Amino acid sequence: MDQEFMSQVKMEAVEVSKAPDRGAAAMQLKDVAVSFHGRTAVRDCTFDISKNRVTSLIGPSGSGKTTLLRALNRLHDLTPGAKVSGQILLEGTDIYRGNITVTELRTRVGMVFQRPNPFPTMSIYENAVSGLRFNGVKKKSILDEAAESSLRSAALWDSVESRLKVAASNLSGGEQQRLCIARALAMDPEVLLMDEPTSALDPIATLKIEELMTTLKQRVTVIIVTHNMQQAARISDDCAFLLMGEDRAGELIEFDTTEKIFNNPIDPRTLDYTLGRFG
Amino acid sequence: MKDEESRDDVEVSDVIPLDLRRHDEVVAEFNSATPSRTWYHYLLIAASIVFAAVSVGFVGTILWNSLPEWAHHTGTLLGGNGWQSPTGPFGGLAMIVGTLETSLIALAVAVVIGLGTSISIVFFIPRRFRNIVATLVELLAAVPSIVYGLWGFLVLAPWMLNTVNPWLNKWPFASILFGNPGQEFGTSLLLASIVLAVMILPTFVAISREVISVVPQDLIEASLSLGATRWQVIREVVLPTARIGLFGATFLALARATGETVAVALVAGGVANTQFHLLYPGTSIAAWIATEFGEAQGNEIAALMALGVLLMLLNFGLSLISRALVNRQRRVLAVV
Amino acid sequence: MSDIVELEQPKEIGHEMREEIRRISDRHRARRQLRSRVMVTLCAIALAITAVPLLLLLYQLFRRGLPVILHASFFTQLPQTPTLVTPNATGGVSNAILGSLVLTAYATIMAVPVGVLVGVYLAESDSKLASLLRIISQTMAGAPSILMGLFAFSFVVRALHVGFSAIAGSFALAVLMLPVIVISSEIAVRGVPNTLREAGLALGAKPHKVSLRIVLPSAVTGIVTGIILAVSRAIGETAPVLLTIGGGYINAWKPLDPVSALPLSIYENAKSEWPSLRTQVWGIALVLVVFVFVLSLSARMWASRKQQAR
Repeated sequence: MDQEFMSQVKMEAVEVSKAPDRGAAAMQLKDVAVSFHGRTAVRDCTFDISKNRVTSLIGPSGSGKTTLLRALNRLHDLTPGAKVSGQILLEGTDIYRGNITVTELRTRVGMVFQRPNPFPTMSIYENAVSGLRFNGVKKKSILDEAAESSLRSAALWDSVESRLKVAASNLSGGEQQRLCIARALAMDPEVLLMDEPTSALDPIATLKIEELMTTLKQRVTVIIVTHNMQQAARISDDCAFLLMGEDRAGELIEFDTTEKIFNNPIDPRTLDYTLGRFG
Repeated sequence: MKDEESRDDVEVSDVIPLDLRRHDEVVAEFNSATPSRTWYHYLLIAASIVFAAVSVGFVGTILWNSLPEWAHHTGTLLGGNGWQSPTGPFGGLAMIVGTLETSLIALAVAVVIGLGTSISIVFFIPRRFRNIVATLVELLAAVPSIVYGLWGFLVLAPWMLNTVNPWLNKWPFASILFGNPGQEFGTSLLLASIVLAVMILPTFVAISREVISVVPQDLIEASLSLGATRWQVIREVVLPTARIGLFGATFLALARATGETVAVALVAGGVANTQFHLLYPGTSIAAWIATEFGEAQGNEIAALMALGVLLMLLNFGLSLISRALVNRQRRVLAVV
Repeated sequence: MSDIVELEQPKEIGHEMREEIRRISDRHRARRQLRSRVMVTLCAIALAITAVPLLLLLYQLFRRGLPVILHASFFTQLPQTPTLVTPNATGGVSNAILGSLVLTAYATIMAVPVGVLVGVYLAESDSKLASLLRIISQTMAGAPSILMGLFAFSFVVRALHVGFSAIAGSFALAVLMLPVIVISSEIAVRGVPNTLREAGLALGAKPHKVSLRIVLPSAVTGIVTGIILAVSRAIGETAPVLLTIGGGYINAWKPLDPVSALPLSIYENAKSEWPSLRTQVWGIALVLVVFVFVLSLSARMWASRKQQAR
């Protein structure tokens, strides 16, 4: 890989994680493992997600990043044969065994998916407030204000303000994804999970969303899965590096600030990955 | 040279006749407006003409044979009560009322139960069993209608007579809808509606299951991630997204219900009297044609053909609407 | 670039509003979850309601029909009319079995060549004629079968002066089967991957030879499946044959002779005053259902086995 390019990446990494030392933990993972019908997909995940920071899960494909992410809002409940072991705490509450229902969990931990997926039969406005509607909020004044707030936070308000009642499918790919981000933000979650949110978008749309994330973290804690190493270096404060082991199960290799991961990692495999030697 | 001439391997041209014309000839042919017509092409066209002729004949023959009646007795056919065989007047009102009443009731029942069934199949049955269930539904849709009719007549009708009818008549306002025919009939419009509902259920379930299952998984995950309950996901995301296709399934089921002949002939009671009370016997357009045709002559045949025209219009109309809807649905999902 | 978005400070939802949203959603949560559970249960009940009548039907079919078909005479004897002295002398249904076989055979011979060719044409052509034929075949596929009976009656029985006969009934069934075969053949031919076609053309073969020698053989499985399904539908139809074949109590099979058929026998004897005939009818129904099931299952298995082989 190009030396000059790599040093540029490292400089960007330093820029981003110059943030002050990590504060409280939004979520804590302790020995988390996910298996499907007995076959382990990812294991040994122990780290803390700090509040108001962007944490990225990086690693080559197959390393279990997405599987781990989906455990954080209990999406694996949908999959028969899926088993999540270990402990995942949201503000101290065990999300699987603690005093919290799965519906409540999902209002506090939102998710944005790889391909933009606005609800096709709903307008832009309806999409933005869909979460609130699901949860029983019907008062128009609240919905209107939440719509405007979340669309502004997603940097979409200016372009859609005049056409809120238009069908969501009229937007471009990048705009649709920002709508999905707005939709998740309208719920005012504590944590926002993002599963490769820009991989289906063109470079300009990608850039816009990356810029968005730097302001988003003032509102929410962001956990993002990305297979794009440079993106992780650009936008995240902390990095968790996962790798598939010989038993074809992913495991956490190293977790640290982005600066450390890219400049001075502890594990040689992490270094190999960030130098582009594989993946 | 000698070596080149003694070839053992098979030439491609042995297997497939090669087009050995010069390149510019081939290009000329491909670019020409009328490519060379081979016997193959003519054969296909001939078959298509035969098919078109049969279809036109199908519609035309029935229409032609019914014209005498339409010319003179349109009003009676559409609005007259009572069917005097063999001379007329031939009133089709009873059949029209019977068709509409039984089909619509059957449709309402089939859609409600069928929707719940397809939702269960798609979302609540484990993936391993889904293929078996799909096969079962397909098999049930293939059971001949005469078998349903037989079961309805020999098994359900006595049960209706002995159990259901007396029970229904106990309810205070029942006779408004059901009538009060006493202990005479087991066959009735109500029984026909029930049997029709059982018959069109597999059809509706098969199509609606298909339409529901292709709603993209990530829409479902996205709504769950917003905190929706399972039912909310189904009702507010899946069903609206599949809405158009579900309407298509509804129209198709209705088309099937209106066309059912022998089952209704066996269980509706076969009486051409215009009334809507469900516990009384009645008939439908298709059932009446089947019942009366055996001994019909001349004018009556024309009148029955006229009923056939009505049935054709109804069925074709519903069919076309259904297809238009299913095609619209495909386009909705393509945009997502 | 100039359209890099200008990010405003995200406008926060006011604190009170956030609180209110939390309150509202907490209040609603239990009710929503209860409703979800109730509706899910109702859907499961719907599934049960669907299954019940159909299971009952199958149960009656086997319970009443099985004893009837266990006698060889059911299949080999001609029907008899019971008398007061011999109330159980119903004979068998050999006439109906023969009739059904013959009707199906003639109908298949008539419908398959035309149907397959039209299906192939629809798959390979984009012309307006093709679109029109496609709409026609889909509409006819859903048409009530009694209309086919009316058509065959007018055309074969009367116009051609053939009278009630096997050929008239076969014609009605052929018209019934035709659209089904057209549709399934088109699907089968369209299902052949384009790469196969292109490979043949790339070797220098003429387009129609590519169709005949390469595409059609690949589509044969789907076409045969469609034919089997069309046949299974035709065997069970009563209305088309009711108006055209005449019925009868002898083992007739010639095209111009009146014949009987299994569904027709059921229809004629269901309302009989003789209990023994009403019982026999269940046997005929069972035979029909078993036949239809076997054909449908074979079609499915045939189709999926060839899928695996590919």
